[in-house]
Amino acid sequence: MLDGIKALAKGLGTTFKALGEPRDTIEYPEKRREYSPRFRGKHMLAKDADGHELCVGCGLCEAVCPAHAIRVVAAQAPEGSNVSWTNRYAVDYEVDLIRCIFCGMCEEACPTNAVRLTPFNELAAGDRLDMIADKEELLHPPVRK
Amino acid sequence: MIRLTIDDQEVSVPEGTTIVDAAAKLGIDVPIYCYHQSLGPLGACRMCLVQVEKMPKLATGCTTAVSEGMVVHTQGPEVEKGRKGVLEFLLINHPLDCPVCDKGGECYLQDYAFEYGPAKGRFQEPKIQKVKDGPINEFVLIDQERCVLCQRCVRFMSEYVGEEQLLLEGRGVETVVTTVEHEPATSQFTGNVIDLCPVGALLSAPYNHKGRPWNIDRQTTICPHCPVGCPSKMTTRESHIIRMEGRPVPDRDWGWLCDRGRFGYDFGYHPLRVLDSTVQGKSLSSAQAMRDTAQWMKETIREHGFGSIGVVMGGHFTAEEAYWIKKFAEEVVHTSEMATLRNVPGYLPISLNGTFEDIDQTDTVVFVGVDPYEAVPVVHLKLRDRIRHFPGLRVIGVGPRKLTSGTLPGIDYQVLGEDEAVVFAQALLLAKGDDPTVQMLGRNVADYPLPVDSETLKTLGETLLNATHLTMLWDGENPEMEQIFKALTILRQGRTAVLPSFGPVNWRGYEKAGIPVRYEDLRNLLMKARNGDIRMLVLWGADLLRDFPDRDLAREALEAVDYVVSAQIRPPLDLPYTDALLPVAAWGEVEGSYVNMEGRVAVAAAGVQPPAQSRPTKTYMVGWARLFQQTFGVEAEWDLFEDIEGDLIPRNADEEDMTPQPLKRPDPVEDPTQWRVIRGELVLENGIPSEILEPRISLFVGRIHPDEAQALHIPAEGGYVDVETSSGTITIGVRADESIPERTLWVPRSGHYEWIASLNGVKQLKRREEVKSL
Repeated sequence: MLDGIKALAKGLGTTFKALGEPRDTIEYPEKRREYSPRFRGKHMLAKDADGHELCVGCGLCEAVCPAHAIRVVAAQAPEGSNVSWTNRYAVDYEVDLIRCIFCGMCEEACPTNAVRLTPFNELAAGDRLDMIADKEELLHPPVRK
Repeated sequence: MIRLTIDDQEVSVPEGTTIVDAAAKLGIDVPIYCYHQSLGPLGACRMCLVQVEKMPKLATGCTTAVSEGMVVHTQGPEVEKGRKGVLEFLLINHPLDCPVCDKGGECYLQDYAFEYGPAKGRFQEPKIQKVKDGPINEFVLIDQERCVLCQRCVRFMSEYVGEEQLLLEGRGVETVVTTVEHEPATSQFTGNVIDLCPVGALLSAPYNHKGRPWNIDRQTTICPHCPVGCPSKMTTRESHIIRMEGRPVPDRDWGWLCDRGRFGYDFGYHPLRVLDSTVQGKSLSSAQAMRDTAQWMKETIREHGFGSIGVVMGGHFTAEEAYWIKKFAEEVVHTSEMATLRNVPGYLPISLNGTFEDIDQTDTVVFVGVDPYEAVPVVHLKLRDRIRHFPGLRVIGVGPRKLTSGTLPGIDYQVLGEDEAVVFAQALLLAKGDDPTVQMLGRNVADYPLPVDSETLKTLGETLLNATHLTMLWDGENPEMEQIFKALTILRQGRTAVLPSFGPVNWRGYEKAGIPVRYEDLRNLLMKARNGDIRMLVLWGADLLRDFPDRDLAREALEAVDYVVSAQIRPPLDLPYTDALLPVAAWGEVEGSYVNMEGRVAVAAAGVQPPAQSRPTKTYMVGWARLFQQTFGVEAEWDLFEDIEGDLIPRNADEEDMTPQPLKRPDPVEDPTQWRVIRGELVLENGIPSEILEPRISLFVGRIHPDEAQALHIPAEGGYVDVETSSGTITIGVRADESIPERTLWVPRSGHYEWIASLNGVKQLKRREEVKSL
């Protein structure tokens, strides 16, 4: 009996002690954690100052990707359009965010610095297909609040 | 043999071998740009520098022949320094294009710069700007900035093909590869420069920016467009064929392709491709179409008994598919009425069939009715290879037009197609008239009038008999030639080889599978269909009205039968008579064996899925058999390869009747009021349509003598004429061609145009000024 009370008091003691301590959890999504500036989240495709897509569709990211998450289809840049800064551009650029392991090797391999991993990490979807980011989505990267 | 030491390893090679080839024999890789075994040494790129002991400076491995006791080092500080220097020079003006360059990932400049090159270039000045993505022609692009001036392409075109269409222009750093007069290159072999180019300077226009070495798949296959069946590699990406490359086979084939084979791979995606099962005008599901057609088969067998279904094979199916069709016909619908669609009447016994090795050894080559440049382009290249090694090669053309050309010069005997065999018979009579075989052969034709004088004929006969290694190319137009070939084999001491250039491409495979391939078999089958003995026709890839020369018989047969089931990849001309049109998988979509004009078996792999409703032949056979309550395809795998002969179909002369028969006397068909119409294979423009090849395909398909073209005021590039035939006036495009005799109209044997079928009894040609569309 006495042992039981002792144990109860000890347990409650821990609880009351912890009440006064600073909290480890945060109230997501109202409050968000700080990340390292080098955090690797969702990909984006960058444009240059004139609005040309930097990606030339060389496929090096596709080649280096250890998770085979990237698919690139390149084509001759349409004549007279300023979509690309050179004669070749990516018609299709898809990243399967379920497969992606966010290692950042695509970013490292990119010769034109077009693929970049943004700090955006709020990746959730109700459908697997929604987790495949297409080129349009990657050209308009979401901003983390 | 010469013994030498390379990197402390001893090797003995024949005299005259270069150091790089000797090193390759040891498995030592010496970097090279300009040297190619087929083209010989040049020493332009200096990449192959090696150190040879007792030589004061580094030597180029590709131009230095080996000598007894030579000691060569392909490694070491001195060699490395040399290579570094060469690469630094090559990269001075080379643009940093790798991410946008199609060659990236399979580029020798990348590989060697990575392996042997300096880490950094010291050249800071701006690079020279040249033409990028300039056209060589419709299929080949040139990026002059990336060129390392190895001259492989220039030498290939001028020395190997013999058509000087590429050249080096300018001096020093401003040297560029360009076309003669900056006009598009028109050769049939331009695509090979893409394979030859060690860097990304010459690129395939249809493949441009389509794939990368790491996201494509390569399948080992053969080219299905002509009976040569060149070994090739098929590049696919995401179940689409996007490129064809040559596949060199050591000691046998350099891996050259003609432009038809290299760029005509897209017929599977052509808008004309049959994609739906159409039964009596209605588009049905594949299963329903199979049920309906099986119902017809059952009905036909029930009402007219076994043997009332006729099967005709055409197209370019594999030998296995032909075998399944034969099994199906014999075991499920119980018919032996089978035939192969032939467009020429000739047949060649397998024991007379030569191989391409004969071309490598031949001293006399005879074209019987066939221009290899147009019908079997890569054979033309093989002959060019032979003439480079053996300049004394005698080339003889016997046919209705000039068959030798500037690249393969020789003597021509221009006679009517019907008289080809008579020319040989009379030539043999004049050269060896006392031989009983010759006397028997020429019994009926000895006094047949020919437009060739007897002295010339005698020379021909003596040449044929005295040649040490005779190779003959035959288009199959004149079936009597078979007797000449048999007689020559008996009369001659040396080897006599015949290479048949007629189709369908896999006819030898169909024959091996057990389907009759002679012209008479098809003729008899169609006669039976016309007479009501055959009530249903199953046309597997066969388009009778397009390819069978006797159109009237074909039309009557198609009209007479109750049902016509046609499995096709493009809409046939038989379509108005077709009750069921079934889409079928084509080359590239099924794996199987092909037997080429040498009688050599090659396996073509499948790389892509059949589009839409098209199904492989086996699916149809198995499906139909199931509807007949039978099982199918359970017997052991059928194999074309023979244990002894390897990939060659055995030449069993014992099983074939090799005694020649006397030639039949040709009927004089010449009507002086009419134009003569001659037909020939033109592999670039004939056959299955391809969108990539369309810019090259001339609207002016017909050809006439230049004098007559001038009289009709036809411009150099061609013009339209009204042709008065026995069945009305047809408007066709014609151009002048020096190889065509007077009062003769040449047309491709089976083109995309329906009028080719109805070109009979041509009376007159009239100039037509304007034609909106054909």
